Amino acid sequence: MKGPMKRHASSQQQRTLSLLLPATAAVLALLVAACSGSTTPAPSSTAAAPNESAVPTVSATPSGPLVLKVAATANVTTWDPVKSFSTEALYMANIYEPLVWINPPSVPQKFTPALAVSWETSADGLRWTFRLRDGVKFHDGEPLTADAVKQSIEAAATRGGASFIWAALDTITAVNPLTVELKLKYPAPMDLVASSLYGAWIVSPKALAAAAADEKFFESGIDAGTGPYTIESYTPDKEVLLTKFDGYWGGWSDTTHYDKVLISITPESVAQQQMLDGGQTDIALSLPLENIGQYRTNPDFQFIDEPSFFNYVGFFNTARKPLDDVRVRQALSYAIPYDDIIAIGAQGFGTQSRGPVPAGVFPYSPDVPQYRQDLDKAKQLLADAGYPGGGFKLELTYASENQNETRFAPLIKEAYAKIGVDVTLTPMLFNQQWERAKGDPVKRQDMFLVLYWPTYSDAGADNLWSLFHSSEKPFFNLSYWKNEQYDKLVDDAATLTATQRDAAQAKYVEAMKLLVDQAPGLFFYDTKFVTAIPKRIAGFQYNLNYPFAQFFYPLHPAN
Amino acid sequence: MTRFVVRRLAGSALVLLGLSVITFTLARVIPSNPAALYIGPKARPEEIERVTRQLGLDQAPPVQYLTYMRDMLTGDWGTSIGTKRPVLEEIVSRLPATLELIAAAMALAIPLGIVLGVLSARWQRRPPDVLVRVVSIVGVSLPAFWLGLLLQVVFFRNLDLLPLSGRVSADLRFTAPIEPITGLYLVDAALGWNWAAFVDASRHLVLPALTLAAFPIGLIARMTRASMIETLDQDYIRTARAYGLRDRFVTYRLALRNALLPVLTVVGLTLAYSLTGSFFVEIVFNWPGLGTFAVHSMLNVDYPAIMGIALFGAAAYVLINLVVDLAQAWLDPRVRLA
Amino acid sequence: MAIGLAQPVVGAPPRGFGHRLRRALLTDPLGFFSLVVIVLLIVMAIIGSAMAPYPMQGEGASSVTTRLFPPSWAHWFGTDLFGRDILSRVIVGARGALVVSVAVVALAMAIGVPIGAIAGYSRGRIDGALMRLTDLFLAFPPLLLAMAIVAALGPGLDHAALALAISWWPWYARLARGTAISLRERPFIEAARSIGIPDRTIVLRHIVPNSLTPILVQATIDIGTVILAAGSLAFIGLGASPPAPDWGLMVAEGRTYILDQWWVSTFPGLAIFVAVLAFNLVGDLLRDLLDPRQNA
Repeated sequence: MKGPMKRHASSQQQRTLSLLLPATAAVLALLVAACSGSTTPAPSSTAAAPNESAVPTVSATPSGPLVLKVAATANVTTWDPVKSFSTEALYMANIYEPLVWINPPSVPQKFTPALAVSWETSADGLRWTFRLRDGVKFHDGEPLTADAVKQSIEAAATRGGASFIWAALDTITAVNPLTVELKLKYPAPMDLVASSLYGAWIVSPKALAAAAADEKFFESGIDAGTGPYTIESYTPDKEVLLTKFDGYWGGWSDTTHYDKVLISITPESVAQQQMLDGGQTDIALSLPLENIGQYRTNPDFQFIDEPSFFNYVGFFNTARKPLDDVRVRQALSYAIPYDDIIAIGAQGFGTQSRGPVPAGVFPYSPDVPQYRQDLDKAKQLLADAGYPGGGFKLELTYASENQNETRFAPLIKEAYAKIGVDVTLTPMLFNQQWERAKGDPVKRQDMFLVLYWPTYSDAGADNLWSLFHSSEKPFFNLSYWKNEQYDKLVDDAATLTATQRDAAQAKYVEAMKLLVDQAPGLFFYDTKFVTAIPKRIAGFQYNLNYPFAQFFYPLHPAN
Repeated sequence: MTRFVVRRLAGSALVLLGLSVITFTLARVIPSNPAALYIGPKARPEEIERVTRQLGLDQAPPVQYLTYMRDMLTGDWGTSIGTKRPVLEEIVSRLPATLELIAAAMALAIPLGIVLGVLSARWQRRPPDVLVRVVSIVGVSLPAFWLGLLLQVVFFRNLDLLPLSGRVSADLRFTAPIEPITGLYLVDAALGWNWAAFVDASRHLVLPALTLAAFPIGLIARMTRASMIETLDQDYIRTARAYGLRDRFVTYRLALRNALLPVLTVVGLTLAYSLTGSFFVEIVFNWPGLGTFAVHSMLNVDYPAIMGIALFGAAAYVLINLVVDLAQAWLDPRVRLA
Repeated sequence: MAIGLAQPVVGAPPRGFGHRLRRALLTDPLGFFSLVVIVLLIVMAIIGSAMAPYPMQGEGASSVTTRLFPPSWAHWFGTDLFGRDILSRVIVGARGALVVSVAVVALAMAIGVPIGAIAGYSRGRIDGALMRLTDLFLAFPPLLLAMAIVAALGPGLDHAALALAISWWPWYARLARGTAISLRERPFIEAARSIGIPDRTIVLRHIVPNSLTPILVQATIDIGTVILAAGSLAFIGLGASPPAPDWGLMVAEGRTYILDQWWVSTFPGLAIFVAVLAFNLVGDLLRDLLDPRQNA
C-alpha cells in the first residue's frame, strides 16, 4: 500500500543518502584542491607546465596568411577619422597617419616624420611649413597631396571631435602639391598638435567629400587612410579584422610583417586573460592587474612595465564645510595611505604622484612636493581647524566600472576612519558620477575619484588647466576651487609654452606647488602601462604619448 | 481544441502588451543621463543636448510609450547606446549562439533527466534511487556560475582536456572557417562537411552545456520520479500487472507515457530557467551570445538594449508557455476541457 | 526556481506534525544535516564577527602582506587579493545572505499574500483583475525581471533585494489565492459571513492565518532560492559592492585568478551551494510531512 510503506523503509538509504550528500559537496571542493597544481603564493604553473594553451603556435598555415590575434577592450565609437575622439584610436593609428609621430621621451629625436618629411617654423612662431612625403597613396587610390592635408586639417578644425587642438590655426594653404603652410593666430607648437592621436589624421579628399554628403559614410567600416593596414571586416562590439595595404609607402619586404590582424573586442580583462591562457589570442592588451605579476617570471613572455600618462586624482568639494578649510584638506591629504593604495589599487604598478601632472609629461617637475601618510600630523591639523578627533562624514564617489578605484577606495575609507572621519563609498557609473558632480550643488559629493589623462602631450594646458582652473560651470574642475593666483599662473604659463618653454615650466611649477599646498584635491599615483607580450612576437614598442594605440606594423614573429 | 487555441493565443497577446508597459516603465526610472552615455566621457554639453533631442528623451512619458509601441511593431527597437546599432539586430545576431547553448543543454538534460527519474522510480528505495535523488537535489542547488568555474579549473587547468572559453578556436577562422548558414556552429559545420570545425565547436560546447544542464537535469529527474511513482501507484497499472502483463511493458509503455505529461510543464519551466541561466554561463565561458550582451548592457545602463532584451526574453517565455500549454492540451484531453 | 507544493494544503498542519518534524530533523541524517547548516547560518548571521578568526578582514580590512595565500592552518580557506582571510569573510557574509533572503521573502509575502487572498476570496472581477496582474509578473522568466529592475535602479544590495521581491510576490499570490478559494466554502467561513462579519476582517483574521502552512513551507524553500538568486546577481555585478563580504561578489572577485588560486572563488561558492542545499532539503522534508496523502 502507499503511505506508510513509503515512509518506513527509507531510513536505510536515508543514511546512505545523508552520507553521500555532504560528501558530494566536499568532494567538489576537494577535487579542485587535490588536482590543483599550485599551492604557492606566487603561482607559476603557466611556466612550469607548458601545455598547448600556454605556448600557442604562431597562426599560419602553409598557404594561409600570417595572422596576429589581439584582444583589446577598445570598441569603435565611430570610424570617421575626423570625428574620432575615443577608444577607436587603437585602430585608427594603424589605418591612418598624421603628419608627424611624437617619439617616446627616451628617444633623443622628438618626432618621427610620417606624412611630412620635414617642417619648420618662422621666427615669430606664427607660420609653420610642412613638406610632404612623395609617392604616398590613400587606400582608395587617391594620392597624398597638400590639398588632401589642407582638407583633412580644415575638417578636423571645424567639425572634428578634438577640434580644439587646432584652436591656434588661422588659415592653411597648399603652397605646392607637396607643401602646406599653416598660419596661426598666436604661437603654438603645431608639430605637437599635428602628432595628436585625435583630430590629426590625414584623410583622402574623396572620402572627406563623401562623408560631407553622407554623415554615415564611414560607419560600416570604410577607411580612407594611408596607413599600413586597412579594414577587411568589422563586427560591432565583436571584432575588427585588419589586412595589410599592399601599396603602403613603408613597404612590406624589410621583415616579415603580419598580413592580417584580428582584434577581438573583449571588454572584460578576465575574459582576455582566459583568451590568452586558452590560446585564443596572441596578445592581450588589458590583462587584469591582479594577475599580471605572474608573467614577470614567465620565460615565454616579455614583461612590459612602462610609465603612462594616466593618473588618479581626487577632488575635495571645497565649496562645502568642512572641506573649505585648507587645514582640513591638508589633514586629509596626510591621512592617505599612499603606499598601500599603490600596492593594492595598482597592484604595485604605480608611482606616487607629484601634483596632477604625470611624470614624463610637460610640465612635470620633481620639485613639486608630495604628502606622505602621517596620521599624527593629520590629527593635529584637524584639531587646529576645530575638528579634534574628526567627527564629520564625507561621501566619496568613484566609477564602478574602474577596477583600480574599486580596489583602493575602501583603503581611503579605512584610513580616514583612523582619524575619526566617516566615509561613505558610493560607486556609480562614471557618467552618472560626473553628471552628479556637475549638477545641483546640494546633491554633489564630498570627494570625487577620477582617472585622468591629457588629450595630447601638454599637461599644463590640459591637466593643470582643466582640473583646477576656476570656471563658471564645472566641467572637470570638480573641486569647485576658485583661486585667482593659481588661475593667473596657469593662464600666463599657457601663453608662454610655445615660445619660452622654460619660463612656462617655471610658472607651472609655482602653480603646482600652490596646488599641493592648498590641497583642493588628492594626488594618488601615476599608473603604469603593464602588459605581457609573448616572446615569439618581436618588435613591440611602447610609446607613452599614444596610450590608446598599439602599432601592429612593427610587430613580427621572432626569428 | 480550436477554441482553446484561440483563447490561449489571445491571452498571450494581452500578456505581451502588459509586458511592454512594464519594460517601458522600467526604462524611464533610470536616473542617469542616457544622452551622456551615448557619446562618451569627455563629451561637450552641446552634444548632450543634441542627442537628448535625437533620442526623444524630452517628451512626456505617455507620448514616448505610443511612439515606442509603433516603433516596436515595425521592428525598430531603438538603437543600442553601447554599439550604436539597432537593438533588434543586436539581439537577433547574438541569438544563434545562445540558442545553440540552450539546445545543447536541453538535449543533454531532457533525456538524461527522464532516464534518471524513471530508473529512480523503478528501483525505488534502492541504490539507483538514492544516487539519482542526490544528483537531482545537488543539481537544483548548485549555483551555475560556480559550477562553470569549477569545471573550467578541473577540465582545463588540471586535466587539460577541454577548452577554457569561447565558441570556437580563433585559428579555425583562417584554417577551416565555418560557412555561416544558421549561425549554429555545429549545424553549419556539419552542413559544410567541416569535420575539424565540428569537433572544435563541440569541444567548446561541452562545459557550458553541462553547466547549464545541471539545474534542468535535477528538476526533470525529480519531476519524472515523482510523476512515475504516482502513476505506478494507479489502479490501472495494478490491474495491468494483475493481468500478468510484463513488468517492462507496464513500466515503460503504459506508465511512462502518462507520467511524462506533468514533466512537460517542468520542461517548459527549465527552458525558461535556461533563458536567464544562460546569462551566467555565457559570462563564465565568454560565450558570445545574448547573455554576455545582456549583462554588459545592464552594467553599462544601455537602456534601449535592456528594454529590448527584457521584452524579448519575456516574449520568448510567453511563447514557450503557449507551446507547452498547447502541447499538453493536445496530448491530454482533460486539459482542453478544463 | 524551486517548485512549490503540488497542491496547497489548507487548514492547520496535521496532528502530530510537530512531533514528526522534530523526529525528521533530529534523527533522519538528511534532516539533521540541513538543521545543522541552517542553525550554523543563523548563528553566523548573528555573531559572525565574534566567530571569525580575523573579524576585521571579514568586514573588509586589507592585509597587504598576506595576499593570495593558499589554504593553510592559519587560513583555512586561504586569503584573497587583499590579503583577507576567506573563512572570516564567508562567516561574516552569512549575515548579508540571510538578511537579504529573509527580507526578500518577507516582502514578497507581504505583497503577494494579501493580493492572493483577496483575489481568491472575492472571486469574480476582482479575482480576474488581480490574477491578470499576477500572471503578468509571472510571465517574466525568473531573474530577468529582477535583472532589469536592478539595471534600472543601479547596483546595490537594496536595489537587488527590492528587485527580487518584485519578482517573487506572484508565487505567493498564487498560493494564497489557491488556499483562499478552498477555504471560502468551508463552514466556518460561511458562518462568519452569515453573522455579518465584514469581508475584510474575514480575509485578515481567518483566511490568511489558515493559509499560512503552505506559504511558510514555500517561504522556507524560497530563502534558499533567493540566496542563490542574490548570489547570481552579485556575481554579475548587480548586487553588493566591494568591500562587502557578499558571497556572490567574492566568487566574481576570485574569477580573475581562479585557474591558479582556485580557493578564492571556490569557498564562497561552496557556501552558497551548501546553504541552498540545506534549504532545499528542508523544503523537501516539509513537503513530504505535509503531503495530504500521508495523512488520510
